Amino acid sequence: MSEFFAMSGYGTYIWWSYGIGFGIVVLNVVLARRALADAKLQARRRLEMSK
Amino acid sequence: MNWTWFHRFGSAPYMYGFAQRWTPWFGGAALLLMLLGLYGGLVLAPPDYQQKDAYRIIYVHAPVASLSLMIYTAMAVAAAVGLIWRMKVAHAAAAASAPIGAWITVATLVTGSLWGKPMWGAYWVWDPRLTSELFLLFLYFGYMGLRAAIEDPQKADKASAVLAIVGVVNVPIIKYSVNWWNSLHQPATRLLGKADMVWSMVWPLLTMFLAFMLFFAAVLLIRLRAELLRRERGASWVREVLS
Repeated sequence: MSEFFAMSGYGTYIWWSYGIGFGIVVLNVVLARRALADAKLQARRRLEMSK
Repeated sequence: MNWTWFHRFGSAPYMYGFAQRWTPWFGGAALLLMLLGLYGGLVLAPPDYQQKDAYRIIYVHAPVASLSLMIYTAMAVAAAVGLIWRMKVAHAAAAASAPIGAWITVATLVTGSLWGKPMWGAYWVWDPRLTSELFLLFLYFGYMGLRAAIEDPQKADKASAVLAIVGVVNVPIIKYSVNWWNSLHQPATRLLGKADMVWSMVWPLLTMFLAFMLFFAAVLLIRLRAELLRRERGASWVREVLS
């Protein structure tokens, strides 16, 4: 198991690149969902104001 | 040829519903394929005879790198469609692509430099491939900055579309930089036909390529909905969608 994580001595580079790469993937999902929630909130407010 | 599909995609409420329906499918498929690709790339694929295990960075780096170019091209095509046919949904799609493209370009540069350090001895070199990819990031920033700076949405659409279209010349420059100039960066790996890698190394990479494309589709559709809501706040379909 520790051999797997060591990655023939390149573990640091590999795990950082996977961590950052997939971290950015997750972050993009979070940011997109937040943008949508925000746009919905703004649109709802506007609809209420126009009533 | 029947063009009704093109007109349907030009309608904001249709596109909103389409995006809502398809996001979970694209997102779910992306997640499954990423897990499969991770297992294949980290566990099943053998180490490289020269780079040992360090080459495994390819399974993140190559998919995000190609995606960074693909997103820019998609953004430029959407912007052009928006300009030519005055299609608001296309402009919205271009605007929704930009932040995703910028993030994916950051991922490309970071994972690439983490591969460069053990292989070349440096996190960064002013090499044609690396420099043109950095320029791609600035193009994304320029596009978003220009949009943010112009208050009138229609003017912002037009001006940013022109920038996106002009900037697309950088895409082939990045792609072929490793062939045109002496580059430290390795050339593209042949995956099919007379392949440079064994199949057990190739299939996880192909899986990751597909997974990242599906990820982009899912995130783009979420951002596109946000963009459509923002643009059409007063429209009656928005009332129906939100009620």
